[in-house]
Amino acid sequence: MKIKYLLLIASIVALFGFPLVVSNPYYIHLVETILIYAVLLFGLDIVVGYTGQVSLGHAGLFGIGSYVAGVLFMKLGMPFWVTVPAAITITAIFGGLLALPALKVIGPYLAMVTLAFGTIIQILINEMSFLTEGPVGIKIPKPEFFGHVTTEDEYYWIVCALTLLSLLVVHRILKSHLGRAFEALRDSPVACDCMGVSVYRYKVYAFIISAGFAGLAGSMYAYSEQYISPNTYVIELSVLFLLAVIMGGRKSRIGAFLGSFIIVMLPKLLDDIELFRIVAVSLAVLFVLLAAISLSKKLTTLRKVAIPLSGIVGLAAFSFWLQNITDWRLTIFGFMILLVVYYLQDGIVGFVRNYYSSLTGKSAQAARDAEALLEIKPTDKDVISAASDTAKGGTLLSVKSILMQFGGLKALNQVDLTIERGTIHGLIGPNGSGKSTMMNVLTGIYVPTAGDVVYASNSVVGKTSSEIALSGIARTFQNVQLFGEMTALENILVGLHHTFDSNLLDVALHLPKYTREESDARARALGLLQFVGLESLANEEARNLPYGKQRVLEIARALALDPNLLLLDEPAAGLTAPDIKDLLVIIQKIREHGITIILIEHHMDVVMAACDKVSVLDFGQKIAEGKPAEVQADEKVIEAYLGGSTA
Amino acid sequence: MEILLQLIYSGISLGMIYAVIAFGYQLTFATSGTLNFGQGEALMLGAMVGLTLVETFNMNYWLMIPIVCIFGAVQGGFVELIGVRPAIKIKSEFGWIMSTIALGIIFKNVAENLWGRDDMKFPSPIDDDPIKLFGANVLPMEIVVVGGALAMMLLVELFNRKSIYGKAVVATSNDRDAAGLMGINTGLVITFSYALSSLTAAFAGVLVAPLTLTGATMGAALGLKAFAVAIIGGLSSGMGIVVGGLILGIAETTTGFYISTGYKDVPGLILLLLVLAIKPSGLFGKTAIKKV
Repeated sequence: MKIKYLLLIASIVALFGFPLVVSNPYYIHLVETILIYAVLLFGLDIVVGYTGQVSLGHAGLFGIGSYVAGVLFMKLGMPFWVTVPAAITITAIFGGLLALPALKVIGPYLAMVTLAFGTIIQILINEMSFLTEGPVGIKIPKPEFFGHVTTEDEYYWIVCALTLLSLLVVHRILKSHLGRAFEALRDSPVACDCMGVSVYRYKVYAFIISAGFAGLAGSMYAYSEQYISPNTYVIELSVLFLLAVIMGGRKSRIGAFLGSFIIVMLPKLLDDIELFRIVAVSLAVLFVLLAAISLSKKLTTLRKVAIPLSGIVGLAAFSFWLQNITDWRLTIFGFMILLVVYYLQDGIVGFVRNYYSSLTGKSAQAARDAEALLEIKPTDKDVISAASDTAKGGTLLSVKSILMQFGGLKALNQVDLTIERGTIHGLIGPNGSGKSTMMNVLTGIYVPTAGDVVYASNSVVGKTSSEIALSGIARTFQNVQLFGEMTALENILVGLHHTFDSNLLDVALHLPKYTREESDARARALGLLQFVGLESLANEEARNLPYGKQRVLEIARALALDPNLLLLDEPAAGLTAPDIKDLLVIIQKIREHGITIILIEHHMDVVMAACDKVSVLDFGQKIAEGKPAEVQADEKVIEAYLGGSTA
Repeated sequence: MEILLQLIYSGISLGMIYAVIAFGYQLTFATSGTLNFGQGEALMLGAMVGLTLVETFNMNYWLMIPIVCIFGAVQGGFVELIGVRPAIKIKSEFGWIMSTIALGIIFKNVAENLWGRDDMKFPSPIDDDPIKLFGANVLPMEIVVVGGALAMMLLVELFNRKSIYGKAVVATSNDRDAAGLMGINTGLVITFSYALSSLTAAFAGVLVAPLTLTGATMGAALGLKAFAVAIIGGLSSGMGIVVGGLILGIAETTTGFYISTGYKDVPGLILLLLVLAIKPSGLFGKTAIKKV
């Protein structure tokens, strides 16, 4: 821990001291550009690394930042401390404008839409000459403070300071509930919505924050270059940014600096054929050595390394065949993208981390996390609060002749259900009878074709999943939907998202309001883990937990939502007999806290032991309802499960 | 009025080109859920190869078309093999987006080095004299473009519906795993769909080339706008891309004339953003049901 801080301080000192040691303005400007791109990459990484969206529009956003600063200076003579905040704000607004339509779609659609956005921005900058001077471009001098025009060195220090500030802010955002929401929505959008964290809204937030950083970077770039013109902000730049994020390493600030270093140096490298030959050969040698070590330690097979090896060696050979490198720049660039995409997916940072841990056999992450855990104590207070609901008895939820139709198939056909407060209501039926469809209707994932669902005297039909979740209906999933890359503790913290009221400013400045909320949430999250007996696994990534533990973790996460009604979708599926016993104890304890439960289950012993009342579905219709024993004896139920005698 | 009609005519022929390229997107999206971001470059390569055959080897325009189609198919198969197959294997979405972009960049750069950076004129295979149609001028080549584009789409549709190989394509697009279990080599089907997709793009390239200039950069804008067409019409609707193509083509030629050629790409892209905001599945697309 100590070493890490020392390193950080040393690198900050080195960064600020750089112009004092190196007096060549060319190199100072180069480092400045790396820092500026790094700021943009911090933002892009939020979108790409954390929320898992592809953006090819960041060159456009970068351009907006530059031009806001440029135009405000040229037309109105605004000073630096006005243009930069204005650039951040306006770019963030554009980011929001892009995100609103774009984020309704995913994957290739999103990539193309952001590409279209980037193209529109470039065209507009080019054509709106009355504002942007079109292809001629805008000249801006270095910023002026109190009548003093900053020198190259002084401006470099300003960029350094702003970069460090961005680093701190981005780090704090990503460690906060906002960052967790971003990560959660990538791992499982459905679960995220059902935890009251609206996927759509947080994707838009992520884009807005990301655009803000792009705006900051753009405005700093304008002052750094002192001249801006439309042909800087082309699609290739967006591809370059994306390459930088992936090559440096996603979800890593060091990765952003590395990626930025590479994309700034790459064009320089590709300008000079001698230098390129040297780098290509040394890369090839390095790779051959690495491959040899990996092969001797049996970490990989010859077949796996053969293609990238021949690729890199081929690149080195190609460099000697080339006469004129500038013509082939883009080919080499494209070739590098291919290599990175397939053989360096986790980026340089990820690669080094993985390589290190596979050599030493331990994960650096785990050690760090264990340290972090020591700082939290579970809360003494009762971790489960049945929200505001104090009423006893009466109806909590009533489903009124619900109809859910998919094409010609009626998955639910005129089903009525009445759930009494404080009870455990079983929902059983053969496979395909509509149980999970019912869950999805209740939680807003499906909008029913007809009928109504009234929960605590309000209709929930037509509300979004996250609204329904926040009104007090929590659920688990038949096929476990945890946030795989997050730790068990973080999974619960996403469930506790609703307890946070802090805004971006509270998070960025670590105001007392936020720090209090964060420490309360952590204490409560650990308490919830204790409740289901997982406290020892708090810092294990959810995807590494055994199946049975994943199921109870899901229950704990659902409880974090302070639900009045808990929907358990086959909680015992795939559990061993002792696990099922523990599960029954947990279910009883939840009920004692006054939480109403709907339980879908195939294990009849669980249903019989836990439920107060059972409804049976078959082919989308309710065929029986009553006390467990009554239902068990019902002719129709037996027929549904075992098949009728004759029709 | 005459000018407007004329703009509509050229808009229609441009729109049909967009529709053919968009059709190519649909083909690969159906089988593999992926798109070739270098589709525009496939078109450009088709036009370039066609030009070389016509100019350097003095080949007849109509004889050249099948050779360009074969070239396109090989090029598409290559893209699938290098760029898409590994990404499907590792289930990486970034993977195929980035690698098809990268391949597109490489193709463009190679074309620049082989054929130079300047735009070239593609000799028109038929009469350049305009024909009068309802009082406005139409280039005969524009009619060929519309006819050729429709014929190509109909042929592929017919192939998919009638032949046993086409059934394999349809089966793969419905459910890749199930098709695989039924003994269909789904990997091959995906390669085939890429080949077919680039074939249509290359074909569109030689169709459009006599109407515009031919050059290494001709593909990028066409590819992007064809994507807009695919989204506006819906990635699963054949009717949609034709309608979408016509809307975009006409919007573009009229904007170019009445406002400024610099803005001609803007209405289509804005229409794309609007459609996504209001009906993400496209004007004619069906909304998919998400399963939990």
